[in-house]
Amino acid sequence: MKRIYTISGLLLLFTFFTTAVLAQNVTVKGKVSDAKTGEALIGVTVGVKGTTTGTQTDVNGAYTINAASNATLQVSYIGYTTQDIVISGRTSIDVRLQSATNELQGVVVVGYGTQRKLDVTGSVASVKGEDISKQASTNAISSLQGKVAGVQITNNGSPGSSPEIRIRGLGTVYGNANPLYVVDGVWFDDISFLNPNDIENISILKDASSESIYGVRAANGVVLVTTKKGKGNASISYNAYAGWQKVTNQPQLANASEYATLINELNGKNTFADPASLGTGTDWLNVVLRDAFTMKHDLTVSGSTEKSSYSFSAGYLKQQGVVTGNDYDRITAHLQQDVQATNFLRLGYNAVLQSSKSKDIPGGVIYKAFTAAPVVPVFYADGSYGDPNDYPVGNIPNNPKAQLDFFNQKSNNYRVTGNVFAELKLVKFLTFKTSFGGEFGQGEVLSYNPVYQATTTQFNKISDLDVSRAEVRNWIWENTLTFDKTFGKHHLTVLAGQSAQRYKAYSISASAQNVPNTSDGDQYLTLGSNDTANPRSVSDGGSLATYQSFFGRVNYSFADKYLLNASFRADGSSKFIGNERWGYFPSIGAGWVISNEEFMKDQHIFDNLKIRGSWGKIGNASVPANLSTLLVNQKAGFTAVYNNEPATGANITQIVPPITYWERGVGTDVGLEMAFLSNKLTFEADYYKKETQQAIFAIPVLGSLGTDGGTIIGNQATFRNQGFEFALGWRDNVGKDFSYSVNGNFSINNNKVLNTVTGANPIYAGGGAATGGQLSTRTIVGQPIGEFYGLVVDGVFQTTAEIASSIQPDAKPGDFKYKDLNNDNKIDAKDRAVIGNPNPKYLYGLNTSFNYKEFDLSVDFQGVGGVDVYNANLGLRYGSENFTKDFYDNRWHGAGTSNTYPSANIGGGQNYKPSSFYVESGAYFRVRNLQLGYTLPSALASKLFMKRLRVYANAQNAFNSFKYRGFNPEIGGSATNAGIDNGVYPLYATYNFGVNVTF
Amino acid sequence: MFNKNIKYALALNICAVLTISQGCKKSFLDVPPQAQQPSVEFFKTQEDATKAVNSIYANLREWKQTAFAPMAVESLGSDETEKGSSEGDATYMNAYDNFTVSATDGQLQDFWNGQYQSIQLCNQVLDNVPGIDMDAGLKSRYLAEAKFVRAYNYFRLVRAFGDVVLRLHLPKDASEYNLPRTPKAEVWAAIETDLTDAAAVLPQNYGSADVGRATKGAALALHAKVAMYQKKWGDVLTYTNQVMGMGYTLFPNFEQSFRIANENNSESVFEIQAKSLPGIKDASTSQYSQIQGVRGQSGGGWGFNVPTQALADAFETGDPRRDATIIFRGETTPEGDAIAATGDNPRYNQKSYVPFNVPFVQNEGEDQNVRVIRYAEVLLMNAEAANETGDATKALADLELVRARARNGNNAVLPKVTTTDKDALRTAIWHERQVELAMEFDRYFDVIRQGRAQAIFGPKGWKPNKNEVWPVPQNEIDLSAGVLTQNPNY
Repeated sequence: MKRIYTISGLLLLFTFFTTAVLAQNVTVKGKVSDAKTGEALIGVTVGVKGTTTGTQTDVNGAYTINAASNATLQVSYIGYTTQDIVISGRTSIDVRLQSATNELQGVVVVGYGTQRKLDVTGSVASVKGEDISKQASTNAISSLQGKVAGVQITNNGSPGSSPEIRIRGLGTVYGNANPLYVVDGVWFDDISFLNPNDIENISILKDASSESIYGVRAANGVVLVTTKKGKGNASISYNAYAGWQKVTNQPQLANASEYATLINELNGKNTFADPASLGTGTDWLNVVLRDAFTMKHDLTVSGSTEKSSYSFSAGYLKQQGVVTGNDYDRITAHLQQDVQATNFLRLGYNAVLQSSKSKDIPGGVIYKAFTAAPVVPVFYADGSYGDPNDYPVGNIPNNPKAQLDFFNQKSNNYRVTGNVFAELKLVKFLTFKTSFGGEFGQGEVLSYNPVYQATTTQFNKISDLDVSRAEVRNWIWENTLTFDKTFGKHHLTVLAGQSAQRYKAYSISASAQNVPNTSDGDQYLTLGSNDTANPRSVSDGGSLATYQSFFGRVNYSFADKYLLNASFRADGSSKFIGNERWGYFPSIGAGWVISNEEFMKDQHIFDNLKIRGSWGKIGNASVPANLSTLLVNQKAGFTAVYNNEPATGANITQIVPPITYWERGVGTDVGLEMAFLSNKLTFEADYYKKETQQAIFAIPVLGSLGTDGGTIIGNQATFRNQGFEFALGWRDNVGKDFSYSVNGNFSINNNKVLNTVTGANPIYAGGGAATGGQLSTRTIVGQPIGEFYGLVVDGVFQTTAEIASSIQPDAKPGDFKYKDLNNDNKIDAKDRAVIGNPNPKYLYGLNTSFNYKEFDLSVDFQGVGGVDVYNANLGLRYGSENFTKDFYDNRWHGAGTSNTYPSANIGGGQNYKPSSFYVESGAYFRVRNLQLGYTLPSALASKLFMKRLRVYANAQNAFNSFKYRGFNPEIGGSATNAGIDNGVYPLYATYNFGVNVTF
Repeated sequence: MFNKNIKYALALNICAVLTISQGCKKSFLDVPPQAQQPSVEFFKTQEDATKAVNSIYANLREWKQTAFAPMAVESLGSDETEKGSSEGDATYMNAYDNFTVSATDGQLQDFWNGQYQSIQLCNQVLDNVPGIDMDAGLKSRYLAEAKFVRAYNYFRLVRAFGDVVLRLHLPKDASEYNLPRTPKAEVWAAIETDLTDAAAVLPQNYGSADVGRATKGAALALHAKVAMYQKKWGDVLTYTNQVMGMGYTLFPNFEQSFRIANENNSESVFEIQAKSLPGIKDASTSQYSQIQGVRGQSGGGWGFNVPTQALADAFETGDPRRDATIIFRGETTPEGDAIAATGDNPRYNQKSYVPFNVPFVQNEGEDQNVRVIRYAEVLLMNAEAANETGDATKALADLELVRARARNGNNAVLPKVTTTDKDALRTAIWHERQVELAMEFDRYFDVIRQGRAQAIFGPKGWKPNKNEVWPVPQNEIDLSAGVLTQNPNY
């Protein structure tokens, strides 16, 4: 039989021939199962080596294939080692696949498809779902901390906020610097809505060539998430844990008598007559913080029937925040079905449903507790709130307990996301896939501010109800055509695709005064006043962006030795105009598997030796739309008043650059992969260099331009991240009862600015209340982005005599002595120098697991080094805020008491200015996760009608080591303001006990 | 075979899908800015011009224009106020009182930015409104209003910093972003040009719907003050004489003239309009009264910028303005608020005071207008100019008008000033300014203008050849990469 197909079209300009001449064919049948569990594996590719013949196992793991009786079957599946089996005339061959201990044969998820690890020429890291879901994190990304070389996860911020993720350093400055998340083909900026229990695999594309197929959204890396699919016989699994979160490494604050002592020193008089008599007073952090309960239940039903696979899961999470009164409830559902409709058509869908509700806390309440005066009681004896105005401490800050008690805000979020797809096998080697996905989300916030009088200055005279609704309506439609064929020793895969995306958001909020408050039934705007004195108000906002893309990729390999990959993507975005609308993103990669060479056949050192190199271009569109379009500002503050009547005002308050270009990334990656000792020892090293060209960000501009916000956004700088990543793995068995693995990773990153639009002039930023309005970072060519910049402290003035003979005549004893770096006999802005670098240089992780009989233990360590933090909380003082115990113990309070810490007047004089005193090491090391599990012997479990029962205890962040004097050295922040700690977010550990049951 | 044909057709279909979507790309990717008007659509109609002028007036009540920055730059250096509030609260403000402030203090930057933001709004109107097809009379009035505000902003800048960056147009391109400082003589000239233009066009009065806009009287009065700072006494006389012919009268009750009910009264030449707007919460931006309000009492405020004992002592015995200007601890205000007997500060500003029971949505006292120029000051400027040009009779008559109103019928206090000695009369007029305009952010630069700063402020640290102006904000110098220079001795 000989057939010729010719398919041509606008985008498909390839013509191909296929020849399949088979003589003595046999029909081989069999089942493919997991070698360890015996579970049937669905969708396993069973092919005849050296031909295009191939099939997939059905839902029972069964396959049927026609092949020459002397042919070789190749059986491959994601996460398993590919096996070659010579048929030798057999008609029944059952295959037991080993899960991929040798990762090289394993299959990894890449953009728009999968590849054998062997064929990958870029840098792609995979993390299995079980490694994510077994941690106590409710956010999947947070669980990746320390797992992957070159991936920095910063878990800072208030409870419930998403972690910050940086892949190979900072990829962008302005807008969203987080990577693109692709969940079952649907694109997201954030995946905090996903239940980690529903995740099968996470693949992180780290180098530009792998990312390039995602074009204009790829500049910060791409994280591909595959959700779970049903397989094997129907099973029910139940996973649950319960435990608590506890604030850890909390800095001690000054107590009442220490505080009073400091205030007396600050004021230079006895504001408090007898500090010692005040005792310990109120520990406001303990008033506001608590040990918080958390629990999670997940139930999954999955399996497969003759023609379909399915997986349905439901999850419930209840998490109390570590701040009293903060509660979060989340219900998630994941639905997946997959039907082989005909032998050439497969249909399916994935859907994630999420509903969450939270009781919110006022922003900054922890900071309020951090600064509140310990001399003020929570309540007076008569039950009324302790009032700072009754003490000589000022009313900043106020009573944090009252602030918490009168805060009444509830938020609900609903979301449906997912996709439907159809996969059409046109001929054996040509597959068309169309996938339509999207996101349908709604957020609701209801906030009621009642009439109350808590203290002299904490009160509200008119009640106020604020209601807001935000909705997201996104869709993505992608069509791909994949050609996959082996010609002798040549293997060629060609992908061509097209994508259209639309992202729309809309929000509306309204408020009314004097809404009654007798029950929840009153919380309607319509019950509020509606007159000239108290009119209702409404406002709204929205955004809309569209993308149109075309892409293609060619993967070619010869004899599993020589690899060549190339891709190209063209992206158009509504965010840019004119000639800058379309961006083009090529990539190329090559690899050489030296260990597969003939001349390596007789060596016994390397099980694998591969070198690879790649280059690619990527873009970034995660910037606000219409950057170059001057917009009109019609803010409420522009409402004029004539004769006591409001009149709407608007004006232009910004300057925009004439043209904004794509932010372009160019990256190269060179990698080395090795395996030794029967694949027990694996080693992978990468060198990378990634340039972000024409980075878009806002730089402060001259105040005399009179812009609102004082910045101008545009293509401002080019910077580079380069570094090395190393991953070393060891796994082994000792006897039949004990197995263990140790995986370590280490990465070094260097960030450097290559040029800026300001030329030799630095870009200053990092100003704000935290630094007394001073710009505390500098970005200059040849240096890392956003370095800390300030005066250099050279001790503390001890006496007036010392001051008199110094060049700081206005100083007082206990003030910082600064270095006169330019030797002009005065201390001014010209004496500033680089005082720290907020870009982490080293990241490392060590992940271990041990299995002995029924017991399993895993211990993960993780850390960051070579990073500085600006501890702005120390100098951020408006008046009588509390101090830390560390400050009390070390402060200057008389000649000879300290030459490093200043007097209590740290927030006054010239002491608050950015200086080396505030810069501290942000390095830390922690035991990220510790888990001990016990699995019931299966004989015993089956008596309990279970397939498997495992119980475990887990501790996350239980041990942390750092020198930083603040709460948590993980700061993060936008590029030119990174590492400035001006919030107080405590670090917390989570302890829980859990159970995994499969029926 | 049939099966094969289907597959073939589907393959072609894919190509069709790809082609169609490519064909659609133009309209699919054209998305207008959402929820914000592109500026190309703005400054097209009379309504746009109206909105833009509204923004100029509204912006005048904003934080940087009326709160901490003016308090630091225009008030605390004087002998009439000190920081106030709790001792440890905002101690950086003390640096303005004892003249230790350095270029890096945030209030300098805030003051600078605030004035230039207002100037930018004015320049938008002045550059863009001329091209709008609209009522010609209204157009020229709007331009005149913008010029008045711009002159007011540059007046505040030149007093505070001396040479400043002079921007009379929007920057055409990046080459006009970073401009050097213009010599102050040119800045003064530009202010005068704006005020001359404004006075030529602005109406003497508005209909009730427009009360609060700049008038001809406001432009002339400000011009007189600008001339006074340059000792152009003839001009001061000319402009104040014109204002005095416009029908302004002193409000009979000095204390009551500062209450909300008496805003925009017969004495008011220019006030920054503010209003508590429950329906537009974010428009209730004025914190002028709040920062100076009685500390530690519900409905009061933060208690900054408090009157000194020196001010209390400056009033002549029995002058009713002493009690009308200063809230003394322990007193009960005429509006019935009992001020607690103990608390952080012995005195508070009564001119910015808003009774505690006046409702607000954002900030205590957000309803209070800021009195920028009162007719009393016009009279005192006229008096000073008359005296300087040798007309003691006229000077004494003006002075008496101000004192008579303060006397409020009680002839036992504030005797008529009768001296015709030029120096003695000048001293009397200056003293009258001190007590009449006390706590109105005038005193500091007034004393510097009079050339008495070393004598009056010297004891608390004021140094000649340095403190006549404040330092240029350091951030601004940094961002200019050296194009901007610092004032001497900072």
